[in-house]
Amino acid sequence: MSEPVGDAKLEVKQASKEVKESENVAEKYSAMTVSKNSEMNMGELSTVFSAVPTHKPVKKQIQFVEDKQEFSRFPTKTGRRSLSRSISQSSTDSYSSAASYTDSSDDETSPRDKTQVNTKGSSDFCVKNIKQAEFGRREIEIAEQDMSALISLRKRAQSEKPLAGAKIVGCTHITAQTAVLIETLVALGAQCRWTACNIYSTQNEVAAALSEMGVAVFAWKGESEDDFWWCIDRCVNTEGWQPNMILDDGGDLTHWMYKKYPNVFKKIRGIVEESVTGVHRLYQLSKAGKLCVPAMNVNDSVTKQKFDNLYCCRESILDGLKRTTDVMFGGKQVVVCGYGEVGKGCCAALKALGAIVYVTEIDPICALQACMDGFRVVKLNEVIRQVDVIITCTGNKNVVTRDQLDRMKNGSIVCNMGHSNTEIDVASLRTPELTWERVRSQVDHVIWPDGKRVILLAEGRLLNLSCSTVPTFVLSITATTQALALIELYNAPEGRYKQDVYLLPKKMDEYVASLHLATFDAHLTELSDEQAKYLGLNKNGPFKPNYYRY
Amino acid sequence: MKKVYSLVNITKAKDQEAVQSICIKQIQLTDQKQEFNKRPTKTGRRSLSRSISQSSTDSYSSVCSDSSEDEISPRDKVQKTSKGLSDFCIKNIKQAEFGRKEIEIAEQEMPALMILKKRAGGEKPLAGAKVVGCTHITAQTAVLIETLVALGAQCRWSACNIFSTQNAVAAALAEAGTSVFAWRGESEDDFWWCIDKCVGARSWQPNMILDDGGDLTHWIYKKYPSMFKRLRGIVEESVTGVYRLYQLSKASRLCVPAMNVNDSVTKQKFDNLYCCKESILDGLKRTTDVMFGGKQVVVCGYGEVGKGCCAALKALGAIVYVTEVDPICALQACMDGFRVIKLSETIRQVDMVVTCTGNKNVVGREHLDKMKNGCIVCNMGHSNTEIDLASLRTVELKWVHVRPQVDHIIWPDGKRIVLLAEGRLLNLSCSTVPSFVLSITATTQALALIELFNAPEGRYKQDVYLLPKKMDEYVASLHLPTFDAHLTELTDDQAKYLGISKHGPFKPNYYRY
Repeated sequence: MSEPVGDAKLEVKQASKEVKESENVAEKYSAMTVSKNSEMNMGELSTVFSAVPTHKPVKKQIQFVEDKQEFSRFPTKTGRRSLSRSISQSSTDSYSSAASYTDSSDDETSPRDKTQVNTKGSSDFCVKNIKQAEFGRREIEIAEQDMSALISLRKRAQSEKPLAGAKIVGCTHITAQTAVLIETLVALGAQCRWTACNIYSTQNEVAAALSEMGVAVFAWKGESEDDFWWCIDRCVNTEGWQPNMILDDGGDLTHWMYKKYPNVFKKIRGIVEESVTGVHRLYQLSKAGKLCVPAMNVNDSVTKQKFDNLYCCRESILDGLKRTTDVMFGGKQVVVCGYGEVGKGCCAALKALGAIVYVTEIDPICALQACMDGFRVVKLNEVIRQVDVIITCTGNKNVVTRDQLDRMKNGSIVCNMGHSNTEIDVASLRTPELTWERVRSQVDHVIWPDGKRVILLAEGRLLNLSCSTVPTFVLSITATTQALALIELYNAPEGRYKQDVYLLPKKMDEYVASLHLATFDAHLTELSDEQAKYLGLNKNGPFKPNYYRY
Repeated sequence: MKKVYSLVNITKAKDQEAVQSICIKQIQLTDQKQEFNKRPTKTGRRSLSRSISQSSTDSYSSVCSDSSEDEISPRDKVQKTSKGLSDFCIKNIKQAEFGRKEIEIAEQEMPALMILKKRAGGEKPLAGAKVVGCTHITAQTAVLIETLVALGAQCRWSACNIFSTQNAVAAALAEAGTSVFAWRGESEDDFWWCIDKCVGARSWQPNMILDDGGDLTHWIYKKYPSMFKRLRGIVEESVTGVYRLYQLSKASRLCVPAMNVNDSVTKQKFDNLYCCKESILDGLKRTTDVMFGGKQVVVCGYGEVGKGCCAALKALGAIVYVTEVDPICALQACMDGFRVIKLSETIRQVDMVVTCTGNKNVVGREHLDKMKNGCIVCNMGHSNTEIDLASLRTVELKWVHVRPQVDHIIWPDGKRIVLLAEGRLLNLSCSTVPSFVLSITATTQALALIELFNAPEGRYKQDVYLLPKKMDEYVASLHLPTFDAHLTELTDDQAKYLGISKHGPFKPNYYRY
């Protein structure tokens, strides 16, 4: 179970060999006297791995929206979330403008029973209504404007067709942004068949637009569990077409191929996986020695991490709170639980608006960072009576308990920016003496017998997904990373990637970033030959060692 | 595009680039000493504590105890402590009392070591450890040394830099019974003599090394190979020294475990981000009394140092531009609200240029020529290479030294450029390094020694290790009381949910903070 040495290996594949972190963590010396605890040595990996049983999530996948959150509830110490995956959690109730507006209930026939043909005569797809293609095209065109990186990738690489011959089978959310990715892959020479990784998130008209363009899409909004697997199977199992690349979000497609079509699976050139969950399942496969193809973990790339967490949350905390409560921040006392990337973003944004921000932390390093950034580090109990807003971003559970909610002052706001819906002990509020009053969409007043009200947002689910939108620019980072990972795996010479899970080469990370600089009209400085030599670097990067923290 | 496909392996090739013999250059004039640090580091990362010495001859630092009253070499003097010991060699033992006061002041700013002393005092985790050290000898180091002694270690110490020793502190240490061989202004010959006296005592064989720069390690490795083999471990602090250890390890000649404390999270963040965030303002104010509000500043490089400088300048209302070579850092700068430009685009309009790239000739003569009158140029990055000074030493330009560390360079048309610290590190030359920052480093070193000394057989092989994350977290936690920060504890239930121990480590190794 606990093979500490494997840890570093897994995570930082290309890291220089010499920097071996000593894993057998050294609390030999009793400095931390209390902690003579054997758990310590379990190392990070073991815990991550033991957290999610491999097969269980697959079963659970298709249920109610609420239950789906269970799926991503497995412990990640980093409090790191895969935004793109989680979007779906709230897609039924989100403010997102791109929700399927053409999703009409006039048509109750299951798409599986319909025969549809696109204008070119092809019927190798299964979507809600091919006639919606025109609407979908418009959505895609809007998305394209904010995804200039993919567009410039198309332009730069179109003549080379680096994906010529690639047969990609994909399983992601099917949204306008994904459509831009898919069409980029096609422009680069790939053939694509696509299915949805979530039964609720598909934008029907986008799926129609893709089908009209000749991409075989099997997805519609509101699939049943049976439909879900049927779609995946139709994607993979088609005569005269064998996929050689997988682009997955959540690991369901990979799992299906691995189980049902082991022979096809073996011949795959590479897997690109985006979500925490899927990456986790890949590491487990790899650990069990059952991963027979190289896989790329794009979830942990620098740009994706920073954008999904720090930058995105910095904006959405304000947006989410404003939209739901119209609160004014200046002078308000706010406690932010957790000072990881998400917490750092929230604190920075709130401080900038003049709020008085307190931080709670368990990790002394992050606590020290909070101190140096000018935030008081407190225990929640010390400030609970005086604060106006509580924001959780720990990735932990029951960070705000009933006991603490009881002591909050009238009118204080409680919300969760962290992970799943576990951080606030909402269950403890479902007792007879408390009255729940829904005042707006996503806003509940919980009323104590003495008349005190606490404002609970999104019922403790993720505020940033339920009450604000994910900017296309952020999705662009992810999509570009995925496209480059596919190109890298497909074009890598024999032997560069073994049967293992890899992080994206830093060079690629840098390239993704550079493609997005144009948006800001940013002008990168180039090293002179002399300077490059002095630094011992290639002029074109990579510019930092793998362990660089940014 | 094509380029992108095949660049994954480049890093490897680079590692093979030979390390030229860095070892011998160590002892020369101050200016040339900077050459020593000039070796390529991709990160632009600097070892503050090491580099302090570069400027110790001209720094604002409050503690300068050298007197020119006494021209006899300490090697020729016979001195005794009040207890009759004479196993040391310093400038003047009579200064011990002054030195003690300095040490006591430093102790107040180094709470972590004090806590460590108290917590572990009963246990003596270093009982039996014979530590030979080679670091800057300052009040802060003295606190470290005395902590080690309190934890049970025997110590012999010499200086890693010929200019940085605080003579009074060395005297105080000697008086307290530590064998110190160091004084300010050693010759190269003195330097090696001191190291040798430290190591080569007849009845005393060191089993641990605490090194800063790698000179001591190198000396023992070369001169006393059999002693080297019997070491329990090496703790190395500087970029340079760590680099030399990796070379040794690469050549399979490292036969003892070594700990790289330079790359620990806390040290990195404090040496760079937090420290520079404060010292950029301090350094500029002390030297030029400039007002920042509304000034246009270009910061070259957006690594940890650059991030600190930009944040500080922005907070005072300056308009900040950034230049970068790395697209990831450039994107970070964009998201943090800074315009990313090329230096030549804004050079005509800016009031200040701050370099922190770790690179050379970032500001060239062609840029300097285009700057406007009164523009301030300074370096926060690495060594003194970032501004192309040589190009300014031409006949048509007039240099006027207006204050310590401030030069006006006057162009034939009357334009003046204000150059700070002659292009050397502003934060070292024109501001001070807070004891609190040094405390982080010292605590890390002490814990690394304890870890290596107490590790069970086999935990550390003959290789270079990073400090375990657990230790990093412990160093941080020891510094929290200074801020009256109250750490939250996980409940058993929560710890189980997260799958981590209640007492850490809390993050995976690759976590970026």
